[in-house]
Amino acid sequence: MIGIGEYRVGSFPMMTIGLGSCIGLTMYDPNLRLGAMVHIMLPESGGRMDRPGKYVDTAVPLLVKELVALGCKNRSIVAKIAGGACMFEYFGTNLNIGERNAAKVRILLKEHNIQLGAEDVGGKVGRSVTFLPANDGKVSIRRADGTSSNL
Amino acid sequence: MKLSAVQADAIQELGNIGAAHAATTLSQMLGSTIEMSVPAIRVVDLSQLGQYMGEESAAMVAFELQGDIPHGGYILFYITRESAVRMTNTMLGLTEINRPLSEMDESALLEVGNIMVSAFLDATAELLGFVMLPSPPSLSIDMAHAAMQSLIAQMQEETDEVLLFSTELVCEEYKVDSDIIMMPERSTLLRIIELLENMMKPG
Repeated sequence: MIGIGEYRVGSFPMMTIGLGSCIGLTMYDPNLRLGAMVHIMLPESGGRMDRPGKYVDTAVPLLVKELVALGCKNRSIVAKIAGGACMFEYFGTNLNIGERNAAKVRILLKEHNIQLGAEDVGGKVGRSVTFLPANDGKVSIRRADGTSSNL
Repeated sequence: MKLSAVQADAIQELGNIGAAHAATTLSQMLGSTIEMSVPAIRVVDLSQLGQYMGEESAAMVAFELQGDIPHGGYILFYITRESAVRMTNTMLGLTEINRPLSEMDESALLEVGNIMVSAFLDATAELLGFVMLPSPPSLSIDMAHAAMQSLIAQMQEETDEVLLFSTELVCEEYKVDSDIIMMPERSTLLRIIELLENMMKPG
């Protein structure tokens, strides 16, 4: 179980629950069957380095670095994202953090030449994500109404 | 963030007074007795939030704390989905438990949340001599963790831990279990503590 601002790297099953405006980002290298997952909360770190998994601008380079250190190539890594919702309409109008998170992830992935394979973002819905690197990097999403889907 | 025993006691007492007023309004709305827990104060690291709020489906009526401090944090009325249905059934004279929540339910939840949170803040403001007003309410009926996490992401002062200050309100007769949860910004919390400490000074 990956909490807010936490990340894992490896081939074991990974899970994170209850993404609202947060982003669950997975990266998978099909050649090495290795992956990484992070639960990101905010777009910008503003120079903070103590919790790199918490911010988009530190989390994306961190996962890339970890995977490259294990022998992965940027161009073979496939990323998927989920979350970035707006759970409370009234508060969300002027600072849609979910949307900003998702937009920032797309930019950072592009900068690092990482392919964005699929995404399930936005709306007014919470999501939980399970990532199975050993099972072809399968990513599945569960919602509060009990429905689930593969990404 | 660490509170001394005296500070924790003072905040707990403040919560008691606020929650007692909120409980009275809920009791009037349901026409039944409400039991109230001792307020719990938890300092929770963000990565551990899942231990307090999980995937369970819940209704949350959230308000931003406004008034003497413009963005003071959040206060919310939290009720599990099952309890929410039982509560609105009682209020609307319905009996079906396994049903989707309608616009009527949403209006009722917003109204209950509004009345309870206003009563809570009125009582605490009177005691502190410090105005805390609720913003217009916003409702989420979804995974509890997802809703809570979204509020934390919106807090003004960035932090790796949040103070959750919660009181449970239970109606045995209708099996309604709810909480009032306050999540102040750090500066708001310090201000409240300061006011409480001044009140406790002799003379």
